[in-house]
Amino acid sequence: MKPFKLIQPTHENEALQARSSDGSEYMAAGTDLLNRIKEHVASPETVVDLKKISGLDQIESDDRGIWLGAMVRMSEVSGHPEIQRRFPAVATTVGHAATPQIRNMATVAGNICQKPRCWYLRHEGYPCIKNGGTGCWAKDGENEFHAIFDNQICSATQPSNLAPVLVAHDAIIEVQGQDGVKEITAGDFFTGPSENPLMEVKLSAGEFVRRILLPAETETSLWAYEEAREKQSFDWAQASVTILLDRGGRKGDHRVILGAVSPAPLRREDMEKKLNGSDDEATQAALIAGEGATPLSQNGYKVPMLQGLIRRAVRVVRSREEG
Amino acid sequence: MQDHPEDNPPKEGVSRRSFLQGAGVAAAAAGISRLPAEALAEERAAADLKELGPGAGKITLNVNGGSKSASAPPSTTLLDFLRNDLGVTGPKRVCDRGSCGACTVLLDGQVVDSCSMLAVDAVGKEITTVEGIGTPDNLSHLQKAFIEKDALQCGFCTPGMVVTCTAMLKENPNPTRDEIRQGLSGNLCRCGTYQNIIEAVEHASRTGGK
Repeated sequence: MKPFKLIQPTHENEALQARSSDGSEYMAAGTDLLNRIKEHVASPETVVDLKKISGLDQIESDDRGIWLGAMVRMSEVSGHPEIQRRFPAVATTVGHAATPQIRNMATVAGNICQKPRCWYLRHEGYPCIKNGGTGCWAKDGENEFHAIFDNQICSATQPSNLAPVLVAHDAIIEVQGQDGVKEITAGDFFTGPSENPLMEVKLSAGEFVRRILLPAETETSLWAYEEAREKQSFDWAQASVTILLDRGGRKGDHRVILGAVSPAPLRREDMEKKLNGSDDEATQAALIAGEGATPLSQNGYKVPMLQGLIRRAVRVVRSREEG
Repeated sequence: MQDHPEDNPPKEGVSRRSFLQGAGVAAAAAGISRLPAEALAEERAAADLKELGPGAGKITLNVNGGSKSASAPPSTTLLDFLRNDLGVTGPKRVCDRGSCGACTVLLDGQVVDSCSMLAVDAVGKEITTVEGIGTPDNLSHLQKAFIEKDALQCGFCTPGMVVTCTAMLKENPNPTRDEIRQGLSGNLCRCGTYQNIIEAVEHASRTGGK
């Protein structure tokens, strides 16, 4: 691995200062960054480790909801009794990501800021629009696992398992930067390539995630998360469906978020409107899954896959209502 | 294992801390007027801001109950540091990407992929490798169960499997088959001995360490 200087700040302002030098990158656990350095697709001169900053590794609750510190480990979230009780969709999806080993290491902030798993993006021989080149190699290449929506500029999908459920809950991403702390809703935080092809999240140079708020006003016990992947472990979803019904106890306040089929988690208001309790709601929602899709040469299967997942998710969420 | 020749190498370059401390002395000597509070705040910040590398520096880890030191750059993974610098070769380097689990060690009792973290991030934590679980003369109960149930073929994944299964049984002494499969989901075996590994874990669980 290419050597780098490691800076371990203990205060947030020191991290901002350390990151202001050229060729520096933030690191949380390093489970993604170290792999990208090994693959020669990242080559920071300086790595600014965020793990020693005091206060970023706590899970706390207040009247706004539950705050996940940026450096909280995935396994701490999936095993946290209060999160399991109040945000079961979050605890469950995090518990399905990667492997037990990775979940013990990887942080929630690192998870939502990891780079896409596109094999062209992660290969030094393919300069694509995301790493300094032009165009998208996957569009006319090997694109079995790529996006079927919004895939014209770059067809890599958002790889975070946590991202869709954060969008479904209107989670707040608290960002620290030179201008101070600001809050961004998850739906705005995850971005597609038309906004900035180099980034998948709304972070400007030098900014880092401080905390994530799971808002009390979107709690619900009516949830479903269904995903399809090729392997049961250490794999990423080919497609996923997250459904929340009656968020915060408000009748009709639903969310349907599709994952792994577009560069950012995709909210489908048209499907949310179909979830009206009618006998054929699942079929009605599934029927329109492919609207707006522009499948590539190898990933047309994701449309029927989504339809199956939607049917399954609706069945699961309605069974929770009865149970 | 041979001791590393440069156990206490001079640190490359000048750290921000030593530079600022030196600069503070120089400034005082030169009679440059500075607000004491400002100087103090800067020094305090500098004392907190730790800079390592890019050259080698001494790293001391607690491995299998003993303290071990060697010199390595901060960009060294825990796996490479254990194997190449400390001579602890139980953890295996296979994928080096956190996908296969052959490098699994325990960090404060929890399974982690030692290839996907830095050695310096393990400072102050208790590291357990397969060497800390049993020795050829004194195998752990689980290791005996691996032999009994023929839970290995080529053996390359075995150290990681043993570490993972040991942690699993400690957390959950009576796992179901599904729980065992989930617990093993970060460890790959190319020989396909999974079924026998599951039986070994069940056997060890049933016979409860006796």
